[in-house]
Amino acid sequence: MSSLLGNIFKGWSDYTKGNEEGGHHDYEHMYAMVIDLDMCTGCNACSTACYAENNLATVGEEYFGARQAMHWMRIERYFDEPNVGEAEADTQSRGASFLPMMCQHCNAAPCEPVCPVAATYHTPDGLNAQIYNRCIGSRYCANNCPFRVRYFNFYDHQETAWPAPMEQQLNPDISVRSKGVMEKCTFCIQRTRAARNTAKNEGRAIRDGEIQTACQQTCPTSAILFGDLLDETSAVHQAWKRHQVQLGKYAQNKTNPELRGYRIFEELNVDTKVLYLERVREV
Amino acid sequence: MSTERSKRKPFPWVQAAVAAVVVGASIVLGAQIFERQLHPESAGVAPAPRVPGAEFPTDTFAGKDVEQPINYSHKLHAGDLGINCLYCHTYARRSKVAGIPPTAKCMGCHTVVGTDKPEIEKLTQMWQSNQSPAWNKVNDVPDFVHFSHERHLQKFLFDNPEMDIKNAPDVCAMCHGDMNQVGVAKKMKPLTMGFCVRCHESNQGPSDCTRCHK
Repeated sequence: MSSLLGNIFKGWSDYTKGNEEGGHHDYEHMYAMVIDLDMCTGCNACSTACYAENNLATVGEEYFGARQAMHWMRIERYFDEPNVGEAEADTQSRGASFLPMMCQHCNAAPCEPVCPVAATYHTPDGLNAQIYNRCIGSRYCANNCPFRVRYFNFYDHQETAWPAPMEQQLNPDISVRSKGVMEKCTFCIQRTRAARNTAKNEGRAIRDGEIQTACQQTCPTSAILFGDLLDETSAVHQAWKRHQVQLGKYAQNKTNPELRGYRIFEELNVDTKVLYLERVREV
Repeated sequence: MSTERSKRKPFPWVQAAVAAVVVGASIVLGAQIFERQLHPESAGVAPAPRVPGAEFPTDTFAGKDVEQPINYSHKLHAGDLGINCLYCHTYARRSKVAGIPPTAKCMGCHTVVGTDKPEIEKLTQMWQSNQSPAWNKVNDVPDFVHFSHERHLQKFLFDNPEMDIKNAPDVCAMCHGDMNQVGVAKKMKPLTMGFCVRCHESNQGPSDCTRCHK
């Protein structure tokens, strides 16, 4: 009986806590990322690594043109405004810059409350998770995502993307999604799980740098950092602190305006966990 | 104003107290009865647990017979001869899957044991022609379920101070039933999500979706 009443009281206190402060509060970890755009060369290696690691199906030219490609990690290109009065303002002289864009794992994720079946939710690791077998494909989440980083399986691409012997190279640690399911970047949750498993077997905590996402691992210029924000010694925590960016704020009070760190769409108050470091330009 | 208040009936303290006691007692008794229904063994004399410190799942499932290339008997090997599950399914303690032993492991004994039996002759023939028996899968979960044998064995067997490696069959029986009682392997537990979640609840397993689905 004690356990039953205990459950009731615990449930009640969790409920009131959630009501007062909003959201999930028993975080064990808070996995976050730092991307230095000054180091990014736009080489697309991260995107390729993501395809390989996460069993992403290639959709072909036609569907890519119809914006149905499922690249969890994509490189967005931006160009400067052409100089007024200049004769030829071709793309070469317009100063292209790149921005790797993937799921920002918002702590106040707009995709989560709109899911009718709770297939997307926040894990105790601070990740925005997508449960494929629970997803019914309503696509509300993708429509509510300000970053456009949720991808829908409109067709059974997984049947044609890996012809005969190529299905042998699929990653067994992650499901192959089928038609009618939403998918998105998971911050390589299978690697988090593997590191957790090893750490548990060895009876220790997960070390900083032990978990590497596929994009981080492959980045030739080491522009991507991944780690636990709750661990004060982690490189990610240090970077966030150095750039005076804090979680849970929609406007940062920076003492030094020269600091490069910023979060995309911070003013929407979605509380993203990817910190971008602005590109330094020669003027 | 004051006359009005004095005319009003006094609050029925006695009746309220009686009602509170009745309601309280019914909640307490109801909770106890409910708890007893959840854990019937706690009411009477509890039998010795097969896996100490863990609640053993009681669900059963009548699996169909699965045809195998060789009529391998778990009853003979694991039951009568007492070979530990982890001798053949050695990957269970260190990976997600329990695995099927390589033919070399079978031949480790069967180059000398029971060589005259027809099934062993079949095995020897396969071994000599460099073929593996194409075993059919018996216990299967969907591809979106990432069950780890390693974690479960760690929790219930290796990290359990009351368990020894020779108790491995008891731990395996939680999800596979008593394999040392059947001949050719059969599915004996439902292995549905309800089955998993019930056990996770009673044994304080994680309830985060991404632990199994990713």
